[in-house]
Amino acid sequence: MNNCKNEVKKRKFKFNEDYFWGYVFIAVALAVFAMFTLYPVISAFIISFQEFKPLGSQWIGLENYAGLLKDKLFGKSIVNTVTYTVFSVPVSLFISFIIAVMIYPLKKSLQTFFKAIYYLPVVASGVALSVVWLWIFDPMPQGILNTIIGWFGISNQNWLGSSNTAMLSLLLMSWLSSHGTSIIIYLAALLGIPDSFFESADLDGATFIKKLRYIIIPLLKPTTLFLLVTGIIGSFQVFMNAYMMTGGGPNNATTMVGLLIFNNAFKYSKFGIAAAQSLVLAAIIAVISIFQFKVLGDDVEY
Amino acid sequence: MSLYKSYGGNKRHEIIYKGISIAFLLLFAVATLFPIYFMIISSFGDPIEAGAVNYSLIPTKFTLDSFKFFFNYSEYSVRWLLNSLLIASVATVSNVVFAGMAGYAFSKIKFPGRKWLFFLLLIAMMIPYQVVQVPLYILIVNIFNLSNTYASLMLPTLCGVYNIFLAKQFMSTLPTEVIECAKIEGCNQFQIFTKIIVPLSKTVLAVMAIMTFMENWNTFFWPFLVTKTMDMQTIQVGLKNFRFANTTYFSPMMAGATISAIPMFILFFSLQKYFLQGVTVGAVKG
Amino acid sequence: MKKFSRITSLMLALVMIVGLAAACGNSNNAANSSSAASTNSASGNTSAETDTVTALLPPVSATYQDNFNKFSKDFNTKYPNLTLKIEPASWEDMTQKLDVQVNAGSPPDIAFIGADGISKYVDTGLLMNIKDIATADMISDFDEGPLNYMKNGDGLYGFPAYMEIHAIGGNKQYLEQAGIDYKSIQQNGWTFDQFRDAIKKGVVKEGNATKRYGFVFACAGVAAKDYLSIMVKSAGMPSSFTNDLKYAYTSKNYLELLKELRTLIDDGSMPKELSSVDAGKRWNMFLTGQTMITGKGLATFENSANKNNAKIDAKDGSAVKDSIKVDYIVLPIPSFAGAQAVSTPAVDGYVTFRGKNEPTKAHVDNVVKAAYYMASGEVAAMTNNDLFVAHITKSANEAAKSMKIDRNPDNETAVQNMLKIAAPARPDIPTDLGAKAIKIEDEVIIPKFQALLANEITPEDMYKAVKEAAVAAFGEDGIVKD
Repeated sequence: MNNCKNEVKKRKFKFNEDYFWGYVFIAVALAVFAMFTLYPVISAFIISFQEFKPLGSQWIGLENYAGLLKDKLFGKSIVNTVTYTVFSVPVSLFISFIIAVMIYPLKKSLQTFFKAIYYLPVVASGVALSVVWLWIFDPMPQGILNTIIGWFGISNQNWLGSSNTAMLSLLLMSWLSSHGTSIIIYLAALLGIPDSFFESADLDGATFIKKLRYIIIPLLKPTTLFLLVTGIIGSFQVFMNAYMMTGGGPNNATTMVGLLIFNNAFKYSKFGIAAAQSLVLAAIIAVISIFQFKVLGDDVEY
Repeated sequence: MSLYKSYGGNKRHEIIYKGISIAFLLLFAVATLFPIYFMIISSFGDPIEAGAVNYSLIPTKFTLDSFKFFFNYSEYSVRWLLNSLLIASVATVSNVVFAGMAGYAFSKIKFPGRKWLFFLLLIAMMIPYQVVQVPLYILIVNIFNLSNTYASLMLPTLCGVYNIFLAKQFMSTLPTEVIECAKIEGCNQFQIFTKIIVPLSKTVLAVMAIMTFMENWNTFFWPFLVTKTMDMQTIQVGLKNFRFANTTYFSPMMAGATISAIPMFILFFSLQKYFLQGVTVGAVKG
Repeated sequence: MKKFSRITSLMLALVMIVGLAAACGNSNNAANSSSAASTNSASGNTSAETDTVTALLPPVSATYQDNFNKFSKDFNTKYPNLTLKIEPASWEDMTQKLDVQVNAGSPPDIAFIGADGISKYVDTGLLMNIKDIATADMISDFDEGPLNYMKNGDGLYGFPAYMEIHAIGGNKQYLEQAGIDYKSIQQNGWTFDQFRDAIKKGVVKEGNATKRYGFVFACAGVAAKDYLSIMVKSAGMPSSFTNDLKYAYTSKNYLELLKELRTLIDDGSMPKELSSVDAGKRWNMFLTGQTMITGKGLATFENSANKNNAKIDAKDGSAVKDSIKVDYIVLPIPSFAGAQAVSTPAVDGYVTFRGKNEPTKAHVDNVVKAAYYMASGEVAAMTNNDLFVAHITKSANEAAKSMKIDRNPDNETAVQNMLKIAAPARPDIPTDLGAKAIKIEDEVIIPKFQALLANEITPEDMYKAVKEAAVAAFGEDGIVKD
């Protein structure tokens, strides 16, 4: 506090008070974060330079990282993960945005109805979801998806069992599910736009497209940035879908980095390697995120 | 809502537009709801272990036996629900308060190091959970000696980075003038937060509440790790007990999943109103 | 605003109520743990023998976790100074929990795992060798075959709970229709050619579409591993290493096996979509008459089939949709590439761990007592009967005499026959070789095998890839060349 006083001479008191409140407001959050997130992350960082053993780890320097460079499977899994992310996150976000904009002008009761419906799948048990998706991708002609493409005269596909369609199947799954959260966040943001903005646009005779372009999209930028960044983080870490649906196969066509990390941590007891892989992954995500912050701009203030 | 006001001039266009969008929304909704539907109809099946799932669109049998089985399976079934309720409620309240405050500070209060700190938060979020679990487990169980307590279940969930980020992004769109005005009128930051920011952020705080509750209600891995007795397990951990080697009590598991989804419905519909209130800045200013 | 605060206060009230309820439970719990702690600390002075043994156990059978209290109580009656604290875990996630606990240096004293996991935990240094601690009475109670699976190198790391045979299962009526003498096969086994003919006969076609397949095995995702590893044992490679510790899967037989497995699909006896048939799907196909034989087959499947039959009889709509009545027949795995048939045993059991600190001799003794208690006598008898698996201790056999289970005697004999030719344990394989073999299996064999099943690569391609990986891991001298 005292240091600040010396540094900032103009409007001394005001600024210092803000500093004080700033730190007060983040105090609890920061304490929880430091203890239960930062500390484990730092531990993981240290472990990444070790051959981890519960009865005493050994320092092996950069060996874990060097091993990754030579590991072809790790390279392939990065490519898979990037492919999956590039095709799933933006498309899902676009679908959520469209749906949110479609729900927004409806009557309140209808809004409630649709929001509930789109959010509900999030509460469904993971087991129910995976059973249903396995049924949808059933390779036999009576499978749901095969029945549907059968109507168009396309012969039945071995969805999850063939390298050509396995990744597509996982993408299809991501496009058709998991919108609940983004939709309600988008709607919350849409509802946060003061009506007066639209009213004044109406006075200027703006069309729907113009309102979309000049009011909604710019005002939803922080929300989009949030959903994009968290979506990409989630997508880069994803392994549950591959784990449940394909086990990473066939022929490693759907092996994600998250799955490798999981296997190293819980299957081979190679905790040091898992930590190194995680940090490489985090570095990749960080670079992409910084890029997004730069392009989409962070602090929107008006 | 005046987003589509320009259609006001032409009623027929508006009706056609709304008709098409509702039809589309319904169609997409059917696809989205399918798993839930399947979960519910499966829960009305017989509580007999099934090596095969009954792939059927229409329920072939209606019985509540699976629900009874779920409650009789373990003397702790109800306890699991209560545990989950407690943990998720505490996490929800704590996150809304503390992540909301932090989000406000990161978006609207200028203090040294805020960008740097915020970036640190984000970076930590990018590390996959698999490698963070072991150090966290060592901390909570070996160092703090909290294994199998409510504290061990709750502490790590009190204030999520995701929520701070969400609050920050939303609050950054609030007009700064309102805050400046309040300052001039002599409000301190705490008053600004409770009197101005919270009312303006109701929608996002409600969303945050729902999502935090949801997430902590559904979380499996951490409660699974730190609980050592059945009476401390949460519903998600308990539900997994229905899966045995090579066989599963499918219907009771779905019954349990259905039961565990009910609090979500209730919470969702009771908070529903707050999502739906548009914000009128002018009214608050007065 | 008002309403918002009302909701908030409502939630707060809710939290407080639940908190109160929880606090009661919590104090209860605290009392428990403090009493446990006091017994621990008391071990030094008053009565030197009181001790607590912890065990991490999954739901091995449907009634297993229900009996935890009974197990603990009976154990305490038997050894009044000892307390057995059982920590339940779900089956699928058990490994993750154990791994976290092991990595954190605080594993439970006893855990229930598959014998194939032993080498991994030996490697962490926390698995406890009980060879010299288990008494001769304990050791002699177990059948030698399963007990050997709990060994690694010179050490014995726990007691086996059961030995289950991974076989295949047929539909009795369809087998008879196809003119297959299943009783003789149960007695004498069959060769690949006999098997190939038999499942060809099982196929029923309607126009171009196959209405019923001869054979379907769960191969989706990682289950493909089961298919290959069960079949490979009957192709002259009972283990991934030969007796002189050379990597076996580079043998010509391996290529032969891959070709033969591919043939079964090309014949049309197995679905061409095999690579995405999962465990639920193939069982559904079996119950709905879409396949004559299915795999892998476990003893409990007879029970599941019987239950579904009863539901069909009851006509109350609870049976699996479109299912037919099926008599489940246990069948052995055919022999491939002219080799001897060897059946695949799956041994699960109770392994013993130590913590970061060296445990006292007395504690180690108590842990062994507890592990033996779980793996033998009445506990084992109950559990194994639940699972329809054979007893592997004399004491469990004795205890099981009074319990009755309803099984097809033919199937029981078939299982007995297969147990006789079960692949022996290989405790001599060093952990580092074992770990390399597992890595090749996960990163090369399974992915390539999935591709082979999906008809994306040839058996030769796969064989070449496996050989390359094997040479890279074990060197030219570390592999079989024939």
